[in-house]
Amino acid sequence: MEENPAPDAATGPDAPGRSGTVPLPPVVAKGRRPNPKIAQLKRTWYFLSRNTLALIGLGILIFFVVIALSTVISGTHGPPKDHLALYCGTYAGVGTANYTPLNGSCTLICTYASNAPPPSPNCYAVDQYAPGNVPPTLNLAHLSGGPLPLGSLTTVTDTNLFYSIYDGFLVGAQWSLSISVSIVVTGALIGLVLGSVAGYLGGLVDEFIMRITDIFLSIPALLLVLVTLAAIGPSFATLQGRVLLLVGAFIIVWWPSYTRIVRGQVLVTREQKYVEASRASGARSGRIILRHIVPNSLYPVFVQLSLDVGAIPLLIGGIAYLGYQIFPTLYFPEWGQMSAIAVGILPSELTACQLASGCAFPWWQLLFPGLIVFLFAISVNFLSDGVRDAFDPRLRR
Amino acid sequence: MRMWIYVVRRLLLLLPVIIGVMTITFVLVSTLPIEEKLLAYYGPSKQGYSKTITCPSGVGMCTNPSYTRGVHALGLDQPIYVQWLQYMKNSLTLNWGSTDHGSHASQSLLGASSLPVTTVLSYFLPYTLELAALSLLLILALAIPLGNYSAVYRNRPLDQATRVLSFSGFALPGFLLAILLLLAATVAAGQFTQACNGQSSPFFNFFGSWPPPGCFPGGILPSWIGTYYQTSPTGFPTVDAIYHHDWYLAWESVKRLLLPAVAIAYGSVAGILRFVRNSMLEVMNLDFIRTARSKGVPERLVVSRHAGRNSLNVTITVLGLTFAGFIGGFAIIELVFGLKGIGLLLAYSILPSPDFGLIFGTTLLFTIIVVAANIIVDVLYAFLDPRVRLG
Repeated sequence: MEENPAPDAATGPDAPGRSGTVPLPPVVAKGRRPNPKIAQLKRTWYFLSRNTLALIGLGILIFFVVIALSTVISGTHGPPKDHLALYCGTYAGVGTANYTPLNGSCTLICTYASNAPPPSPNCYAVDQYAPGNVPPTLNLAHLSGGPLPLGSLTTVTDTNLFYSIYDGFLVGAQWSLSISVSIVVTGALIGLVLGSVAGYLGGLVDEFIMRITDIFLSIPALLLVLVTLAAIGPSFATLQGRVLLLVGAFIIVWWPSYTRIVRGQVLVTREQKYVEASRASGARSGRIILRHIVPNSLYPVFVQLSLDVGAIPLLIGGIAYLGYQIFPTLYFPEWGQMSAIAVGILPSELTACQLASGCAFPWWQLLFPGLIVFLFAISVNFLSDGVRDAFDPRLRR
Repeated sequence: MRMWIYVVRRLLLLLPVIIGVMTITFVLVSTLPIEEKLLAYYGPSKQGYSKTITCPSGVGMCTNPSYTRGVHALGLDQPIYVQWLQYMKNSLTLNWGSTDHGSHASQSLLGASSLPVTTVLSYFLPYTLELAALSLLLILALAIPLGNYSAVYRNRPLDQATRVLSFSGFALPGFLLAILLLLAATVAAGQFTQACNGQSSPFFNFFGSWPPPGCFPGGILPSWIGTYYQTSPTGFPTVDAIYHHDWYLAWESVKRLLLPAVAIAYGSVAGILRFVRNSMLEVMNLDFIRTARSKGVPERLVVSRHAGRNSLNVTITVLGLTFAGFIGGFAIIELVFGLKGIGLLLAYSILPSPDFGLIFGTTLLFTIIVVAANIIVDVLYAFLDPRVRLG
């Protein structure tokens, strides 16, 4: 603050942060004084905009949200489906596409729709819904890289089926974002209700709620999700049911930490003078909780919430790597799961690679899905760190 | 004198937590079909555990004697609270059922045998504890000095670099980080192919004794050290090697834990580093720091003695809080590196054929470890900060 003074709205004598020390003039002309909430936002934005890492995070996050929204609005990317298939054949000139799926041997004849003949031994990944669109630019024997912008990904169950990573990135944006946000927001709401009730009422209610919270906090999160899914997962067969089950299992894990944070904050807030004043003027408990305590306890919850949004694709990837896939028989392009599939099949791919000499290391399978998850988690992290620093007067300068 | 009273009080407070955790696993167990429960408790039987089987005469369906006998013996026909009491009694007397010899975990790790769950866990636990100890050591060795420096050089390039590096460890999925480390080590060692049980493996024997993923040389149980020595008194590979005065093997055991420990530490150092940094930032503004500076204490000592002591308190608390997440990640790391620990056991017991005896046993064990860690942290905290136990 010493080197670069903040703009006038933030440091002027009538800024809300200083109103405790500097007496305000009794009458202020309308329109002169900014709305304190807007002034607060402006000040936060000022401190945020000086934090390079936070701005980078914000930029990446906006990019992801725009991708997700555009795929939802345009509707070009419908429900997940098996996208690419490995085809093979002898090049028979430009002509109508006549693909035959690879079944064991590579002896069938097919024509290819572009000018470049597929390289020997003529096994290549193409988009089975629009075969003419995809020229065979990469051929790695059985291990096919796929010609798409970001390469393709072999499925675990069927090595003849390929997924486009680029397509998975686009479609996965809506799934990953909506799953993460719904888990975290629901968990935070439960935590807000339980935490504020426990913190405000105290006594036996507090003891009861906090002991239950302790119980859930002492089970490792990844483990509880995994065990829940293993125990009741098989009874859910549809895609929607399985996604809902996953969200539910994560909420079971997620509410306790919010409850603890909110309770701690409420214990501080309820001793404030304005709460006492409200109680003295006859407000009921419900009103005090809703109008005074909850709004003033929101900010640490928000910081934790934004951190957790980035962690959820990582955890979903973790449970997918350990064997639970959201929808095993269908290409489900959740970002974390895509990365887990890529890592999970790497050993068997490398084995295949040794047998068929001359294939490249499938770096694109590790790099692109991993990079997507990484960028999402780290941008959320930078942003929430920046917001925390901007809000907290002790941490900024 | 008051210290032990405090410890006993903490222990008593944790009793409801342990009972609650066991109740949660009980609820999850209750959702299983009865056949699965019988299988998990008794192990496989020739007749199976379905309710009805074909009659011995070959015509019509009769009740399955092993089903009725099992249901009666386990009290599954009793009211739910009696079942709960039975469950608690069995859990507390370490009667945790047995593994299913047909399950994936038993086939790949236990030689398709049906063993008591507690026995299997006692074989696999020591290795995980060694890994946990090593990674904890790495985390503390990284987080405390880096956090202090980060706070002292706030918003300078050193601070930014530290934060970006630690964040990147948090933001990389654990399995990806582990496999990247493994690949880097493979390239560094220059060996891509190593035979494992007669099969060519894409990975390698790192430093001579590293098993590739999915390859477990050295017999079935208790651990690979059994190939070198007949006796394995503690089950901890390193400790056993030291017991046999084989320093080379002890060093080998630590070496093969190093890379997994680095993966775990890199993944979880960010959270602790953040807390150390923030608490240092707050402490550095306090009056006693100004006093220390004004009376001429060198800045290096102000940071390490006056302020650093406070960040140590916070670090220990945060370690206790993050221990649950830390130990949960072991399943992934042990699976990638093929370490024979509890995490690998859990990973193998889930899919494709779940072994419910193992799954619930592992959950209970992990939770007990977390609760025990919390007690240790509480006691340490009270030891470091007298206000806690006197207040």
